[in-house]
Amino acid sequence: MNAFDYRAPRSLDEALAILQEYGDEAKAIAGGTALVTMLRQRLLRPACLVSLREVPGCDRVEATNGAVRLGALVTHRDAELAPLLRERLPVLAETFRRVGTIRIRHMGTVGGALAHADPNQDPPVTLLALGARVEIRQSGGRRELPLAELFRGYYETALEPGEVITAVSVPLLPPASGASFIKFLPRTVDDYATVAVAATVTLESDGERCREARIGLGSVGMTPLRSPSAEAQLAGQRLDESLLRAAGDAARADVDPLSDHRGSAAYKREMTAVMVVRALTQAWEAARRAVRGVR
Amino acid sequence: MAHRIVGQPIGRLDGIEKVSGATRYSADVTLPGLVWGKVLRSPLPHARIIRIDTAMARALPGVLAVLTARDLPDVLVGRRMFDMPVLARDRVRFIGEKVAVAAALDPDIADEALALIDVEYEDLPAVVDAAAAIEDGAPLVHENPGAYEGAPPERPHPNVQSVLRFALGDVEAGFREADRIFEHTFRTQLAHHGYLEPHAGVVAIDHDGRVQVWASNKMPFRLKELLAHALQLPKGQIRVNLTPIGGDFGGKGSLMDLPLAYHLARVTGRPVKMVMSYAEELMAGNPRHPSIITVRTGVTNDGRIVARRVRALFNAGAYAAFKPAPSVNLGGAGMGAGVYRIPHLAIESLCVYTHSIPCGHARSPGEPQMVFAGESHMDMIAKELGLDPAEFRRRNLLADGDRLANGHHLEHGRAKETLEAALKASDWSREKPGPWIGRGVAMTHRHIGVGFTNAHVRLESKGTVALVIGLPDTGTGAHLVLRQIVAEVLDLSLDEVQVELATTDTFETDSGVGGSRVTHTGGRAAYHAAEKLKEQIRAEAEKVGTPGASFATIAQAAARDGRTLEASYFYDARAHAAVTSFTAQVAEVAVDPQTGQVTVRRFTTAHDVGTIINPLGHQGQIEGGLIQGLGFALSEELGTEDGRISTLSLGDFKLPTVADIPPLTTVLLEDLVGPGPFRAKAIGEGSISAVAPAIANAVADACGVRILDLPITAEKVYFALREKPA
Amino acid sequence: MIRLTVNGTSHDVEVPSYRTLLDCLRYDLGLTGSKEGCGVGVCGACTVLLDGKMISSCIALAAFADGREVTTIEGLAEDERLHPVQQAFIDFGGFQCGICTPGQVVAAKALLDTNPNPSEAEIREWMLGNLCRCTGYYKIVESIRAAAQARP
Repeated sequence: MNAFDYRAPRSLDEALAILQEYGDEAKAIAGGTALVTMLRQRLLRPACLVSLREVPGCDRVEATNGAVRLGALVTHRDAELAPLLRERLPVLAETFRRVGTIRIRHMGTVGGALAHADPNQDPPVTLLALGARVEIRQSGGRRELPLAELFRGYYETALEPGEVITAVSVPLLPPASGASFIKFLPRTVDDYATVAVAATVTLESDGERCREARIGLGSVGMTPLRSPSAEAQLAGQRLDESLLRAAGDAARADVDPLSDHRGSAAYKREMTAVMVVRALTQAWEAARRAVRGVR
Repeated sequence: MAHRIVGQPIGRLDGIEKVSGATRYSADVTLPGLVWGKVLRSPLPHARIIRIDTAMARALPGVLAVLTARDLPDVLVGRRMFDMPVLARDRVRFIGEKVAVAAALDPDIADEALALIDVEYEDLPAVVDAAAAIEDGAPLVHENPGAYEGAPPERPHPNVQSVLRFALGDVEAGFREADRIFEHTFRTQLAHHGYLEPHAGVVAIDHDGRVQVWASNKMPFRLKELLAHALQLPKGQIRVNLTPIGGDFGGKGSLMDLPLAYHLARVTGRPVKMVMSYAEELMAGNPRHPSIITVRTGVTNDGRIVARRVRALFNAGAYAAFKPAPSVNLGGAGMGAGVYRIPHLAIESLCVYTHSIPCGHARSPGEPQMVFAGESHMDMIAKELGLDPAEFRRRNLLADGDRLANGHHLEHGRAKETLEAALKASDWSREKPGPWIGRGVAMTHRHIGVGFTNAHVRLESKGTVALVIGLPDTGTGAHLVLRQIVAEVLDLSLDEVQVELATTDTFETDSGVGGSRVTHTGGRAAYHAAEKLKEQIRAEAEKVGTPGASFATIAQAAARDGRTLEASYFYDARAHAAVTSFTAQVAEVAVDPQTGQVTVRRFTTAHDVGTIINPLGHQGQIEGGLIQGLGFALSEELGTEDGRISTLSLGDFKLPTVADIPPLTTVLLEDLVGPGPFRAKAIGEGSISAVAPAIANAVADACGVRILDLPITAEKVYFALREKPA
Repeated sequence: MIRLTVNGTSHDVEVPSYRTLLDCLRYDLGLTGSKEGCGVGVCGACTVLLDGKMISSCIALAAFADGREVTTIEGLAEDERLHPVQQAFIDFGGFQCGICTPGQVVAAKALLDTNPNPSEAEIREWMLGNLCRCTGYYKIVESIRAAAQARP
């Protein structure tokens, strides 16, 4: 690694000012699990690393109006264990639990992982299905984006130099909803997913018809993505097994996976269909339980 | 016969250091003024080196030296066949071959220096596939390999490193006797040993010119010889200091980067440490040979094997240098005969040069490959014959007096008992708990290792005994076993026997660790040395007139005469015993038909063993080998693309984790006939080879899919399920 | 210049910005108990506790530990008495070559500090990121269970 300037500002404003000053010669670093690996392999050679570790105020898990807001510096482990998240969005807490190992989760942060934009990560899959939004700040400005618009390409985000993600806001599910996350990893128990699927199913109050379903997919493209065709199959329909299979087939058509050590493109396509059906089945069952619970 | 200390599951006493982080491995060694060496490696599989410009690298502050082949003597290195340069001289033959080396004040600066070395290559045609490499017109990896020191004479094609054959009877005549003949071809993958300690070494040159070496190498005496040869120094000028090793599994017997560390030390006048990164290990770390194995077997209608021909093609990579056997081939090729009586047998094993990563020895060299082929093949034949796989094996198992592939007549064989034990313990005949669940059996056998070892025992003045040995600690608990043996012979408590590690100055030679030989050779040497000392002590006590005196009294009496009571023994077990140990394993798996994912629900392993000297250590060897076999069966694969290793971290080359291990039942059949001390046998390599075929056979039983190439991935099962006719 | 407390002792160390915590411990402070295995945070040989939480020190910058507390394998024994996890690893064969052992032991100690009576499933999940190539893991799990039972 080249010697780089290491700064550890104690306020967000200071951090943003340094990032502004260095432009694209600087990288923000929080847990560093991805960045330090890339630095050691000489894939990155920034002139300056701006550590966000001492920046206060970005590490809270809070309830906001109809949503849970995760500060960007919340670690995966803290998110996984946060009582608020486990209670209100258990599918998301469970997703954080599946990331890597506990050691990685102690360091890797929610915002840092999103900024890294590795298409094989787990949290974006569920965050996309839940309709999350990211708050972004730069020196003298802020903006908000739907998460889907954050991911531009392979390890590429819509972040401009000088910008950092400060929070992720995740809307709660409407009543009569269920959600599930499936990480399919057939090699060993510690791995990236061959295919990851997050599904939400919201039923009409009669518990029969599906009002809306959302499907997030990971490890099957250059970015994590939704499956609009699968979702369209289900909206407004009475769910049954053959409809879920049709949704799985539609999802298969929506993806264009890259072959990697966890599966060929052809296999990932097939597993997309299988896992979408499984995730929808679980989410639907959870939605029905929610309806029964209410009635 | 009950022993007092032998047979006790004693926890290892080097444990205190190991669990406290106090053990110093090679990468932990530090010396004043130490500098770091790093290697620049070839990005091309086959190319001429036109020019190397190191000026900018040498000018970087903190860099002390940058060397290329021109700065080194023109010497070729190897363990048996000397075909590999220390640094590539005028051509590179695999992606990862060493091209230049830099020494700097810290490893980061050394890495920066490498980035500043400018190399101009001229691409040459490369061949990376073993079958293609032995076709007419294939690009030659070496122009004239027969000219290398140690090269075996037989060479049907210039890209053949070696040929190894086993033969019994007349195989063509045998096939004519057969009612039915079956032939299948299998493939196994490139796989790294997965030890967690990358190769590391420190070389320092004393002011008197003595070369001090600390290295992750499990045969320090051979290392000393090979280094002397590579550095063109007298053997006596080199001293290898035995250093604990963080896992060997066959991969740590070569010079690796030590000659480079020496030359850097020579040029800089400083001690040099070199530690491979794990990416370098995966790219250039002498992994297990990949194989293509064709097995052809002739059987009678009642399921008796009459003939077998095996042809094995091992893709050995660009250099033969890492293979230590005199044949420069893989002894495990003999396992093509499996555990069966095969009157007419022909095995031909070819190690082939390609422009790929040079391979070496890995736990049970050649055996997991051959046993995967042979034991899968047995099940496929059984299915065709309509026989239960266990029954088909029963009809053909080796019995005493039958000839093994190496020509010896089996003695004290317990093949049948071992099989029956595994079947019983695994509920083989019980109905399966559900659909898509299957059971598979596989067997192997393994001879007890041979080699030679020196042991020296010395009675200390306080009545304790020092056991001096030249075997480094690779982690197997061997030192404890040797102490137990000496304590048993001399009727001492374990605390009263201490191991003193030799350096290569202490003894003339030792074949080192490996080949499941340490309990046998080291144990016998220690045993006989202790017996000699016991006799000396008895004689001394008699002379002094105090037959029941304590060891301390006797030692002090001798000391007053200016004598120390001590004894040495050199044990050389060069001849193969006709005794072997059988293993039978049963895997029970579940297959998810929607995804092809294979889950091992339970695993049973049965071993016929001799006296077990330390049950805790013994079981540890079984479990460790077995999980390595599991990884080989299901997840480990060094990916290659045109000779380039694509799995360059443990994130991509997947070793089993603690959450992947199946519930395990171990059955030990103790048979008090072994050539080792107290009739011990060997266990270090017994549990790895049959795991993959047991699983493959179970998968076939569960879902009808036969996977012919390792690893057995969900994807392969998935697509195979959809290919087969309904 | 960073100031970190390691096993209860405060150290002021001058390190280049790129220094990893692992290299700082091993080479600047001479604490070679933590090992570099895979170098990418997967194998766990470099496991240390940072403010009580286990991390991969090979992919943490030394600077991250500035002002914080680090616990390494060298800090587990108390006054010559082995930690129950260490003793259990000896008694139950939880180690062979020992290269992964510091990481395993530190991770196991962190587990028992958090969850004094873990189930076997909880042990496996916690220890998932600590690879071992010698033992096959069975005796590691056994050692940790024994240590849990041995604690007062």
